[in-house]
Amino acid sequence: MEGKIFVITSGKGGVGKTTATSSIGAALAMAGKRVAVVDMDIGLRNLDVVMGLENRIVFNIVDVVQGKCKLSQAAIKDRRINNLFLIPASQSDNKDILKPEDMVSLGKRLKKEFDIVFMDCPAGIERGFENAVAAADEALVICTPEVSSVRDADRIIGLLYARSITPQLIVNRINPAMTAKGDMLSHEDVTDVLSIDLLGLVEADDNVIVASNLGKPLVMIDDSKAGQAFKRIAMRLDGHVDLPIQVPQNGSSLWRKIGNKLGFK
Amino acid sequence: MLDGIIKKLFGNKKNSSATAKNRLKFALIYDKLEISDEILKNLQHDIVEVISRYFEIDKDALQLNINKSRDLSALTFNTPILSAKEKKRTS
Ligand SMILES: Nc1ncnc2c1ncn2[C@@H]1O[C@H](COP(=O)(O)OP(=O)(O)OP(=O)(O)O)[C@@H](O)[C@H]1O
Ligand SMILES: [Mg+2]
Repeated sequence: MEGKIFVITSGKGGVGKTTATSSIGAALAMAGKRVAVVDMDIGLRNLDVVMGLENRIVFNIVDVVQGKCKLSQAAIKDRRINNLFLIPASQSDNKDILKPEDMVSLGKRLKKEFDIVFMDCPAGIERGFENAVAAADEALVICTPEVSSVRDADRIIGLLYARSITPQLIVNRINPAMTAKGDMLSHEDVTDVLSIDLLGLVEADDNVIVASNLGKPLVMIDDSKAGQAFKRIAMRLDGHVDLPIQVPQNGSSLWRKIGNKLGFK
Repeated sequence: MLDGIIKKLFGNKKNSSATAKNRLKFALIYDKLEISDEILKNLQHDIVEVISRYFEIDKDALQLNINKSRDLSALTFNTPILSAKEKKRTS
């Protein structure tokens, strides 16, 4: 059976695309899928360091497209997680080095080799976005619960619809304490404004930074709330659509429980 | 949490997330009313072409504008008519 390509995108920078790509990719590989994660941020590659694979780069995606190496030579195999492969970006080129047509043909090759491919999209709506989305069958849009991020997500969602892709939403960096106080947009606010399907909710978690310090997959840190959330997102993508979306909670204080009972939010 | 209860009880000021949501809703509506110069130019070209079939118009004097207010946007097209053209179109 042919594989499927997901683009992970956001419009706004720094909202968690690379974190999501590495985490969901790792979780699906741990669940037995053959997964490739592709760094489409040409010139500003980061997926390699987040995954701890930066020392093993020999070839990159531009080399593959230009026929300088085989696809299998550029795909770095993760030694901790079976069936997980990274195709790194080149660091010395800029986004114009690739054309959307290149990506369409590379996408066909990728789908023959892998069950699931994730394209880690760069920020912005220019060529880098065009390239990352060119071969995509589906899209995951990431935003944080902030006005600027949600607005950019809306723009990206419009561009995806124009390509007949219906995206799913992940809200990242949720601060449950602020949400409880009413000082952060809730996920209902966000989905209400954007009117797209919600795939998962990820809270702000210091383990994300610890994991990237170590170059260790977040989903391998057991007590990471964000890691757990990305695992559930992966399961939902893997067909477990009935798995409920967990709303990040502010500790489990008695006051909150009483408050919930009384209808305070 | 306690904060929340106190605010509820004493009717404290609105939370910032409600303001955020409102601003966001209006920003998105407003963003979608924006039309690129490219589209405007094409529109103007097409309108001129259609009107020119029926009227002699001064192509340099015409104006195409989009007037935006908070929740609606109107397209206005102003052109002096020099004369009506003879009816000769049958098809
Ligand atoms: N849930 C989270 N909790 C805490 N920190 C997070 C979380 N998600 C992402 N971060 C941090 O936010 C920063 C940006 O994350 P990331 O690199 O994944 O974003 P990005 O969307 O890929 O950015 P860019 O647009 O630059 O490619 C990183 O420092 C990351 O560690
Ligand atoms: Mg990134």
